[in-house]
Amino acid sequence: MNRILVFVLGGLLVSPVLAEERVDRTIDAAPDGEVEIYNTAGSITVEGWSRDSVRVTGEIGDDVEELVLERDGDYILVKVKVPRNHGRDIDADITVNVPEDSAIEVSGVSADIDVEAVNGDQSLQTVSGDVEVDGVSANIEAASVSGDVEVTGTGKVGEAAAATVSGDVWVSGFAGELEAESVSGDVTITDGSFERVYFETVNGDLIFSGQLLRGGKIAAESVNGDVELDFDGAVSASFDIETFNGDIDNCFGPKPERTSRYAPGLELSFSQGDGDGRVVIETLNGDVSICND
Amino acid sequence: MNDIDRDDKLISAASGLTTGISPERDLWPGIEQAIATPKRSRWTPMLAQAAAVVLLIGASSGITYFTMKEEPVVIQQFSAELRFEQTAFGAEQTLGSVYRGAQGDYRTDLDAELEKLSPEVRADIENNLALIKDAIAEINVALEKNPDNVLLQELLVRSYREQHTLLRRVGALTKHVMVRKDI
Repeated sequence: MNRILVFVLGGLLVSPVLAEERVDRTIDAAPDGEVEIYNTAGSITVEGWSRDSVRVTGEIGDDVEELVLERDGDYILVKVKVPRNHGRDIDADITVNVPEDSAIEVSGVSADIDVEAVNGDQSLQTVSGDVEVDGVSANIEAASVSGDVEVTGTGKVGEAAAATVSGDVWVSGFAGELEAESVSGDVTITDGSFERVYFETVNGDLIFSGQLLRGGKIAAESVNGDVELDFDGAVSASFDIETFNGDIDNCFGPKPERTSRYAPGLELSFSQGDGDGRVVIETLNGDVSICND
Repeated sequence: MNDIDRDDKLISAASGLTTGISPERDLWPGIEQAIATPKRSRWTPMLAQAAAVVLLIGASSGITYFTMKEEPVVIQQFSAELRFEQTAFGAEQTLGSVYRGAQGDYRTDLDAELEKLSPEVRADIENNLALIKDAIAEINVALEKNPDNVLLQELLVRSYREQHTLLRRVGALTKHVMVRKDI
């Protein structure tokens, strides 16, 4: 009896493992081509390497229809194909090695996206997973609905756009132009040097800690979230800050003034350094804090 | 008489005919005058314009009449998140029909998309749309008391844009992910 019980329990424990299919496929690729990757559920890890080929390894669920790996000239398609009325086991955890100078486009639904050491442009989108990118040295667009988006740059100049609905956005070590937005998540930008930053939320906080280059611009807009700007080193810009119902804390000196005798609003306009850059902050209820170190 | 003889006879007879006929009276001066002085139209540009205006007014009045006759005037009530404050934005009291139409289309796409997502993600999206809706309503209320406040006007317009962007983005989320349609 005990033997039967052990056998049954053992079978139950082993069966999920058996349901997964191991994949390992490789195809030749252009050194700086485009790789497009689709995976509905599970995880997608993309790693740049020095070979002129794309390799897909990992495990795919029993209800996955097939793993597509195709080449058309400089274009490579990696697709975890699932039937429209799919079963429960459509998860696929795949790692895709791509030539390091490839441009990539990655899409998932309930899949985490993790990218490392890819030098080309990147477009990454998922619904309920997290997006994490390390070593960004070109243009990037990264978005999730309920997951977090974390982008770490190499300090090279590029254009970045990061967006979530309820997740948080983190961008660090980036240079150039950045647009970041969330509805209820926080947006945090650190350790970068920027020509232009535009970030906004409805309920989340906006935090900037970086360098504004000469002639650069920052625009921060929030309804209920707080805005905190902490500049690296000296800053040269004209500031226009206004809040309808929040406070303004300014460590550069000038004090905010009431916008009206009858309304709670505060505004603050002043110039720092040569004033060749521009900083505009607007909130409804959020507090504003600006300083430098 | 063969055909050639018959033709020779006709040619000989034709050559005897007069080649020029003088008119009974000199008509050229009249023709020349008619060419030099074009006929003056009674349909002057001014008259044409006046007729066009009358036609336009008549047509629009007719359309208005039939429209009003068949459909009684309905005063629509808009909720706070669909309302611009009249005093702040002039006569444009509500969002235009084009905007509301687009929003409706996006909402349809969104509903179709939400069905594909997990209950947790669905709830998350709906909660965040509600946040934007509440923010818009709050700004509208503040604008009622401070209609000249430019900050509020800007925040309101941006919040509408944010709402629109969210509807559009979420409504197209899974279109990027391919699925087999033949199963």
